[in-house]
Formats: sequence, structure tokens, C-alpha cells
Amino acid sequence: MAVIDVVNLSKAFGTNVVLSNVNLQVEEGESLVVLGGSGSGKTVMLRNIMGLLTPDSGHVAVEGKIIAQLSREELFTVRKSIGMCFQMAALFDSMTVFENVAFGLRRHHKMTEAKVQARVEECLSMVGLKDTDKLKPAELSGGMKRRVGFARAIALKPKILLFDEPTTGLDPVMTDVIGRIILDLKHELGITSITITHDLKSAFEIADRIAMLFRGECIACEAPSDFKVNPHPVIQQFLRGDADGPFLQDPPPPKRKAQEAHA
Amino acid sequence: MVLTVIDKVGAGVLRATDTFGDFAVLAGRAFAAIFKRPFDGKNLLNQFQSVGVNSIPVVVLTSLAVSMVFAVQLAFGFRQFQAEGLASQVEGLAVMRELAPVITGLMLSGRIGSAMAAELGTMQVTEQIDALECLATDPIHYLFVPRLLASMLVVPLLTVVSVYIGFWGGYLILVGVEGQSAYVYGNEFYKLLAFRDLRIAIYKAFVFGIIIALVGCWKGYRTQGGAEGVGQAPTSSVVTSSLWILIADFFLTKLLLV
Repeated sequence: MAVIDVVNLSKAFGTNVVLSNVNLQVEEGESLVVLGGSGSGKTVMLRNIMGLLTPDSGHVAVEGKIIAQLSREELFTVRKSIGMCFQMAALFDSMTVFENVAFGLRRHHKMTEAKVQARVEECLSMVGLKDTDKLKPAELSGGMKRRVGFARAIALKPKILLFDEPTTGLDPVMTDVIGRIILDLKHELGITSITITHDLKSAFEIADRIAMLFRGECIACEAPSDFKVNPHPVIQQFLRGDADGPFLQDPPPPKRKAQEAHA
Repeated sequence: MVLTVIDKVGAGVLRATDTFGDFAVLAGRAFAAIFKRPFDGKNLLNQFQSVGVNSIPVVVLTSLAVSMVFAVQLAFGFRQFQAEGLASQVEGLAVMRELAPVITGLMLSGRIGSAMAAELGTMQVTEQIDALECLATDPIHYLFVPRLLASMLVVPLLTVVSVYIGFWGGYLILVGVEGQSAYVYGNEFYKLLAFRDLRIAIYKAFVFGIIIALVGCWKGYRTQGGAEGVGQAPTSSVVTSSLWILIADFFLTKLLLV
């Protein structure tokens, strides 16, 4: 049985159909990377998995439990087994780094303060952020915020991790650092994960399978080696990073030759 | 033309019903969450600090100013009838029954209600409330309950402070400026008052506290649209809670004075 089962998932906001009959299964210990253009419904899919949004039709099941049918208490029990890393980290800005990472532990575990401290230090060192525990989120760089977000997500030892564009807006070096951390977490903790990213380099490093969403539909979900040679024109255009092709709804501006552009 | 008007009126009624229903559901969830665990004492103490202790200066200053102005008006008014002695009695009645709870309520809706709306609004647009949900924490329990409890307890306490300051505001004008006897003022201030009046003032303040916290949290929780939404939430919170405080004041006065 798949750990995460997305079945015929559809979601629209008014007349804007964001997801249309999406089907995806993620097996235990598997790392699925979801690619797709901006507005293709990737984040909406993650929010449906977390129960932050309710599907218009279809459903999401986590470990066999249909998310939309759970009571609030049951939903919270499922959420304790999922760690969510937000695009902009979503750290609690009134708290220090330590308090952010310790939040879930203090809420849900009757741990002594010494054990909380030890676990927080362990999580922070896993993301390479020792000695930052007293800082406030406002004092951190973008990359550090994401990493604190990772530490907060893994503090409760979840079985599933969801990463929502963890490298967007970061420089290439920091993008590589984040990619390595996700890879380390995957190997050290062996958890099931879904990662949404635009960064193809880290996507191919992290993924056991790669799925691609295009205009609300899932057009591919396969091993990275198969994905690379998938003949679908949208996938090939996305991999080339070329503006010309069927990917964009509106035609891009005409391409000028380099000399012409500099003239 | 007629159909368009009916259409607009219908849409307005539906929108108002929807808004009121949403508020009622969130308020119900907040009251139900008061008795849920875990009990977050530290968060509650922080709210007592920001709602209560930090509000003392503003309540003291406004209560002093309003009671002094009111004493000036009373002294002038009663002088027309050579009945200056009544000014301190009416001052006592007005401060205890109306000025203290209403001024405290209105000032706190501006100070703490708006702060709650801004804080929760910022948390909403920066996905911090979603992060709470993802950490299996009910935002109503974590965010609404401490603010509601602090407000329910602190607004009545600050109303008592406001009554005390109101006494001295009247004293400064009627004794210090108008030359009434301090002994007479001290007796006359309480002459028309009974313990019931203090009880009414505290009941009113209790209800105002609930209005301030629930409206502030609700407006913040329902913030949409980034910086613009965060900017509108406090304004909307102050206007709505002030209006509800004045409406509630009328009905509570009618109900409790019977």
C-alpha cells in the first residue's frame, strides 16, 4: 500500500482549475520530486496532502486514511507523522530558532527540557546550523531560514517529509547545500518524501521518481533516467529550459541573436 | 433595474449572514478550546503582559482626561442652577456606570484589538498559521484562547483602575479648581452609587473584553491579500469592535439596570 495516495484529485479556485484528476502514489521510503511551472498546482497538491485545502473531487490518503474524511483530532494525529517545509520557511518570527525547533516537541511530547535541548541541537546540527539557537528568524539569511524550517519539520521524527520549493530564491551554492541536506535526511532518516522544486540538478540527485504537473494534470511520473528521455514536448522543453515550445500559454518574446541584443 | 437592486440587496444579505456565521463559528470554537489541553501558561502570561500591564498607562491617561473634562462640564452646568454640590454625585454615577467601562473598552479595542489583528494577520499571510496547523496545533487553541482569557480578565481589572482614576480626575477639578470640600467630594462621589453599579461596570467590561479579543483575532485570522490585507485588518478590527462595544453597552445598560 502506498504511503501517500493521491486519487483523481481536482481543485479549482472559482473558475481557475488548478488540479484536474491528478493521480500519484508514493511508496514507503521513496523520494518523489514534483516538477512543473509556476501555477501548475504543485503547492496546492501539497496543501491537499496536509489537509490545509479540501479537494473538490477525488481524495488524498496518507497511510490509508482519507485526509478529507478525518476529524480535527484524527487529522492532527496524521499531521504529527508529516513534516512540512514551507517555501518561505514560515518560521514563527516572535520565537528564537531554538523555540521554533522545540515547538512541536514541547506541544506534543512530555519531554524534559534537557531532552528537548538535546533533540533541538541534534536537528540543528543535521541541517548544519549549530550555535544559531538564540537568533531570531529576522537575523537569518534565506538559506538559514529554510534550514531551520527543515530542523523544525524533522524534530518530531516524521515518517513523511514534504518540501515546498526549498531552493527558490537561493544562490546556486546554497541551492546545492539544501539539495545535499535533503539527500542526507533521506539517507539518514529513510523517510518518505515529496519535494517540489524547479532546480533540475538537485531534483535528479534527490529523486527516486520524478512527476511533472502541467496545467493541473500529471503528465509523467517515472524514474529519473526515464524522465530524461521522455519524448513529451513539454518535458523536453522544461529540461532544456527553453522559452520556445508548448510549455507557455502566451507566446514568449522573440529571441534575438546575441550580437543584436548587445547592439 | 428593480431586479438588479434586489440582486444587490440579496447578495449583501448573504454576505452579511456568511460573515456573521463565520464569526459565530470561530467564537464558538474559541470558547470550546478554552477547556482543551495542553494548557500554555507561558503564552497566557505573555498575553497578560501585553494586554494588561502594557495597557495601564493609556487607560490611566484617558480616564484622567475624560473624568476631568466631564467634571469641568458638570461644574459649569450645575453652576447655572446653583447646584454645584450635585456635580460630584453625577461625576461618580457617570464614571462608574458608563465612562470607566466604555472608555476602557474603546481604548483597549484600539490598543490591543488592533495589535491582535495585525499580529495574527501577519502570521496568516506569512503562512505561520499554516505552519501551526502542520505542527498539529489548533491555531484557535494556541492563538485565540490566551488572548481571549487575558482580555476577559484584564478589561474588568482595568475598568476598576479607570474608576479609581476617574475619582481623582473629578477631585482635581471639583476640589482643586472649583474649590469644593475634599471631604464632601469624597462622600458625594459615592452617594448615588451602590455595589450593584460596580458589578454592572465589571459585567460590561467582561463582555467588552470578549468582543475586543474575538473581533481582533477573527479579523487577523481571516486576513487575505498580503501587506494590504494586514494593513486593513487592524483598522477593520477597531471599527467593528468599537461599534459592537457601543451597541453592547446600550443593551447591557437596559438589561442590567432593570
